[in-house]
Amino acid sequence: MGWNGLKAEGPLELNMDMVRGDETPIEIIRLAYGMEDSLGGFYRSVQTRTQDSELAHLLEMLIGAEDKHKQYLFELQKSLEPSGVSRETFEADVSPKVMEGGFDSDLFIKQNEKFLNDVPSVLDLSMMLETQALDLYLRFADKSQNRETKDVLHKIGDEEKSHLAALDKLRDKKT
Amino acid sequence: MVLETLKKLFTPVESLDADQLKAYLAEHKEGSFTLLDVRQPGEYEEAHIPGAKLIPIAQLPERMSELDPEKPVIAY
Repeated sequence: MGWNGLKAEGPLELNMDMVRGDETPIEIIRLAYGMEDSLGGFYRSVQTRTQDSELAHLLEMLIGAEDKHKQYLFELQKSLEPSGVSRETFEADVSPKVMEGGFDSDLFIKQNEKFLNDVPSVLDLSMMLETQALDLYLRFADKSQNRETKDVLHKIGDEEKSHLAALDKLRDKKT
Repeated sequence: MVLETLKKLFTPVESLDADQLKAYLAEHKEGSFTLLDVRQPGEYEEAHIPGAKLIPIAQLPERMSELDPEKPVIAY
């Protein structure tokens, strides 16, 4: 493919068993929140393993970005259900077992051990994870039969695109 | 019938190079366009633009209804 922009990998069906297609916007927001939370947890566990201060700083930024995404999702939930639950109750309902893009956190660390030790590699890995996440959210949107859920997923996709653009600029600076 | 739908979906046809497409994707909200991958599933699996909808070109005539005629379609 003569394309030098973002590229996702994997078959059309990859991780599509995570959704049925009839989810409400709130159900999808909870799912996305869990994945963002899990990715933040992944960055935190990589951070505990490094002695490299530049890498620790980058990981802090990545954790901060995931926290912003979570805040965005919580606010999106509140905009749909103004009388909805508190942040604590909302968080208790999410299931953070799968990272953004559909990866299992522990397995992913094991498989990518050698890419977790320096800034350029972690930036590349982060771009890959976010690209897969963008693709997955948009495939979820395509599968959804609910117009409002599609809209929510497209908004989440736009957030991911902005995050990817920022990561891309950072990667250009660091490499 | 299919030809008329095809005409409606792909007219007017413009060609974008990679940089123009990158700019288009960056500037436009998700959901406001359809990115259509008309290659084979194996090519899609190897690499695709995030969010692309896979409809191999041979299946396009019978799957036209999956495309929103109100939105621009960008095919590759």
